[in-house]
Amino acid sequence: MLARNETIFKWALYAGATAVFFLLQGAVLQRITLWGVIPFVFPILVAVLGMYEGPLPASVYALTVGVLCDLLLPASIPCFYTLIFPAAGLCAALISQSLLPAGFLCGVVTSVLSFLLTDAFHCVVLWAGGKAAWAAGAQVFLREVCVSILLVVPVVLLFSAVFRRTHLDD
Amino acid sequence: MKKFFREHGIWVLFATAVIAVSLSLMSFFSNTSSPLSNLAGIIASPFRSAYTAVTGWITDKQNYYQDVTALEEENAALRRENAILKAQNRLAQTNNEENARLRELLNLRPQNYDLELETASVTERTVTNWTSSLTLNIGTDHGVEVNDCVIDETYALVGVVSEVGLNWCTVLTIVDTDTSLGAQVFRTKDLGLAVGDFSLMRENRLRLDYLPADCQLLGGDLVVTSGLGGYYPSGLSVGTVEEVQLSDSGAASYAVLEPAADFDSLVEVFVIKSFDIQT
Repeated sequence: MLARNETIFKWALYAGATAVFFLLQGAVLQRITLWGVIPFVFPILVAVLGMYEGPLPASVYALTVGVLCDLLLPASIPCFYTLIFPAAGLCAALISQSLLPAGFLCGVVTSVLSFLLTDAFHCVVLWAGGKAAWAAGAQVFLREVCVSILLVVPVVLLFSAVFRRTHLDD
Repeated sequence: MKKFFREHGIWVLFATAVIAVSLSLMSFFSNTSSPLSNLAGIIASPFRSAYTAVTGWITDKQNYYQDVTALEEENAALRRENAILKAQNRLAQTNNEENARLRELLNLRPQNYDLELETASVTERTVTNWTSSLTLNIGTDHGVEVNDCVIDETYALVGVVSEVGLNWCTVLTIVDTDTSLGAQVFRTKDLGLAVGDFSLMRENRLRLDYLPADCQLLGGDLVVTSGLGGYYPSGLSVGTVEEVQLSDSGAASYAVLEPAADFDSLVEVFVIKSFDIQT
């Protein structure tokens, strides 16, 4: 159990790390198109933090990232990421608690799941609007995962460094 | 999992629901953008401009060293095209004068095509794989409003403003799934609805729906905005017909359109703040 000031310090570090990836996405990633898609780091952030921090912090963190994404990115509905990211963060936390130990493999599995949930929700929203595109959606999901999955490495490295730095006694 | 839901899950769900409803309500009741989106956009604006400036500088350097032979060939082709256009322009001027004289003789109302334009720079292109959008560097302080049309220098329709903040606005391009506008085939005068389709959006294409059953479209037919309803100006070029396909049910046909605007190379665009068109 961390003391209050240690908890604040830890989340300040996580916030800093998240800001770095927001800048990376805005400055570099969304200006690159590989295999017809843009690498997308936010579902990976949500999944990797969920893997380290457990269900409650993961859900709250994912909710915050979701709100920020909704404020900055265009989407079919105004609360798209607010709704789906907490579910992705929670799933990642539950997988790391009961199926796979936190690490690169778990990071990859939870990130793929996070992309799956996000892209499936996109397809559902399109279908609800009468513009179903399941096949094209599946194609985008596959391409997005292939293009973005390498980003798990820097995200895991940075978030695990923060986790280890603030959990020295564990 | 049960433990999580028993202890904290209900509060996380509650917070998610409250925030989601708040965002939706703010978006629904706002004519421009929600206050939070506006603030986020204002904070992000300098970063977007800085990134774009750096990217632009790098692209300029790349273009500088492009193949000179290819540029010379393009220049020669453009000179030939220019000569043809000049001849056509002279003919059009004569026709215009004749048209004006005939209108006067017949006491017809004079034609008018006035657009109030505001120049804008593109600071950000498509930011997710599920939308096709542009972010511009002008907003409510320049008089931009939601649903204003955006065109390029050739009067080709780029898209429609979907959200606007103080010094920024988001434009959904015509290939985005949330865009739909009245369109008309220039040659046949058939009316239809130009809508974004996710499967086609990946290839930078859109579809022309609700075509009449006896519609005879040809590849390369120009499609322009119809202007019906008065929401958007008429006569802006949307794109050209690439192919005609049958819908999934097989009962109706639709045309696949290639947009007239090249979204990838857009640097400067024009927002139509108001228009007065009389034909």
